[in-house]
Amino acid sequence: MKLAVVAQRYGADINGGAELHARYIAERLARHAEVEVLTTCARDYVTWRNELPAGEDRVNGIRVLRFPVRRPRDPDRFGRRSERVFNQTHSDADEHAWLEEEGPAAPGLVKHLARGRTGWDFVVFFSYRYYHAYYGAAAVPDRALLVPTAERDPAAGVSLFGPLFRGVRALMYNSHEERALIEGVSGNTSVPGVVVGVGSEIPERTDAERFRRKHGITRRFALYVGRIDENKGCKELFDFHRRYARAEPDPLQLVLCGHSLLPIPDTPHVRHLGFVSDEDKFDALAAADLLVMPSYYESLSIVALEAWAVGRPVLANARCDVLKGQCIRSNAGLYYRGYEEFAEALSWLARRRPLAEALGENGRRYFEQNYAWPVIEGKYLHMIERLRREPAVASGEWPPRRPGWRAGRRAVLPPAASVLEQVPAGPVISRREAEPERL
Amino acid sequence: MPDFTVRSDSVDVEEIMGRIRARIREKRGVDYTEEQIRELASVKLERFLDPRKVRSELLQQFREGGISPLPNYSFEDTTLFESKRPWLAFIRRMLRPLLQLFINPNRLVQALHMQASINAHHEQYTNLAYEVLHNLVLETTRLGIEVKNLKMRVESLSSRLDFSERRARALEGVVMYRPGEEPEAEAASAADTPGRANGQGPSELRRKRRRRRSRRPTLAPGAPAGGNPQALAAEDAAGEATEEPIGEHGPGGQPADPRGEEGWPPSRPGSEDGVDEP
Repeated sequence: MKLAVVAQRYGADINGGAELHARYIAERLARHAEVEVLTTCARDYVTWRNELPAGEDRVNGIRVLRFPVRRPRDPDRFGRRSERVFNQTHSDADEHAWLEEEGPAAPGLVKHLARGRTGWDFVVFFSYRYYHAYYGAAAVPDRALLVPTAERDPAAGVSLFGPLFRGVRALMYNSHEERALIEGVSGNTSVPGVVVGVGSEIPERTDAERFRRKHGITRRFALYVGRIDENKGCKELFDFHRRYARAEPDPLQLVLCGHSLLPIPDTPHVRHLGFVSDEDKFDALAAADLLVMPSYYESLSIVALEAWAVGRPVLANARCDVLKGQCIRSNAGLYYRGYEEFAEALSWLARRRPLAEALGENGRRYFEQNYAWPVIEGKYLHMIERLRREPAVASGEWPPRRPGWRAGRRAVLPPAASVLEQVPAGPVISRREAEPERL
Repeated sequence: MPDFTVRSDSVDVEEIMGRIRARIREKRGVDYTEEQIRELASVKLERFLDPRKVRSELLQQFREGGISPLPNYSFEDTTLFESKRPWLAFIRRMLRPLLQLFINPNRLVQALHMQASINAHHEQYTNLAYEVLHNLVLETTRLGIEVKNLKMRVESLSSRLDFSERRARALEGVVMYRPGEEPEAEAASAADTPGRANGQGPSELRRKRRRRRSRRPTLAPGAPAGGNPQALAAEDAAGEATEEPIGEHGPGGQPADPRGEEGWPPSRPGSEDGVDEP
């Protein structure tokens, strides 16, 4: 069996959520099939500037083909087009211009897919919202599997993507909330889909003391791992933690691991360690009292799963449906909406060790039942096997046909944000991940 | 806070969150969520900020008037002649000298370029101002609510204090002085006191008597308290008249504090040595 994985960026040192997800899946599927990765020469997800050489490369033993991006993204123009598509009634041409502007516009990659369409049994596309996934899936409609990595942002309501969600052979969702969102905006319930997520390489042994010695941390602490960015809710986290530390006689220290785009508060209650190795990360998780996840939008948090895998509870932002849903379904984490809940939940986890341990134990079980690699690989292989058995049904709307010049410029499409508003929000509580998935 | 043992399979996160919220409600007294505080910031701002004349709809107006994202663009010297079609851009570039015969596009380019940077600067400034204003309004509202809560607590504490004081006085009032027993005895001792003849005032005498009494180990049952009781009673009456013009009862009709009066400490209520039953 020959599979292709298509991602916007790819590399051993590229640690974006979807990109890391793509790499893990490619490396795992390579144990069962011949896997090739198609990607761009970009490293920076904001500009898509060509930084890596075009052509063939190998990453952790996987063959990677890189294609140049036609032109870097102009943030101003992209901002204007996003404003029009998200918040105003607009045309089909506007949406295509927006997608072109979002990038990474790599027509060579799409042409390669169209030329080699018989070479692969299936092509797995990552991140629905980018150029490569939309035009790539249109080039190989009968072999396209989509890992949408969708968050609840207005891009999900863009009309272009309805036919994509309904036209691919199958969707591999990251969470039940993501599935509900995509089914809500596109009505693609007849398309095979399964909630899979992604696993992680969990070391057999972690050493909390090693981490404490190495970084000179003596106090108990809450850990944050990831990009330190306002978009990830870190500004709010700093504010809440400052107030919590002022009110609490013996507060938990906040330890931050990751590259920072924000100024770090200058206080003894906050420690920033910068980018850390995987070994350090798992040692830190073992040493921490809990992991804090302040992000508003996540399609899946790998680091939260890793925390659960090592038996640590998670304190998540309740505004993120996915994280809240996972906390409830797993019974392995608390969540907060506003400062008071943050401070109180943090105090509960800090003061009630048995409770924190029980939550951590639930998390460990939840990870093993749903996110251990054999489970993830099994779901992918099961889906591929099913698709091989079932013939591809041609969809009338996929690959999409562009309307005429005049029709394409008629502003009749609703603002994407208003489409999204009509889709019910909130965590999916009823569907337990432990239950067997209907394939 | 007591620890408790939790079986991992019995943990229910939603129930724990319910308990956490209940605890927050207990602590806070008034159940304002962050959303409600925000709502209050927009609706009831007038009430809190009226003295400073800050309008309640200030944020709303600011958001509508100032923060609405205005489209901006980057304008360079080549922008006027750009095109998606390379051949058209080429023709425009070729004809540029001809255009310059009719008008001076450089001035136009310069002005538009400047305008674009002004727009960018303005947007940045507006965002900053909005953030400051927003945080200020939220914080002021929060403080307003806190002040209100604190006022309520102060009122509650002062009423409890009043009640305690009244209760203490009432209890003291229960222990009433029975005339005709000790005062007589003390009046007798006062008559023998040389200080009286030396021109000492009644309060001075009383102080001396108290000191003497405290030095005396026990008083024989039935014996007079000391001195001539009549004279002492007369002195006391005179002292009361000069020191405590309000007489037997304290201000506001409350029973006067019996400490410092003769016969203190009193016997237990209901006993036979000179104290009435309540």
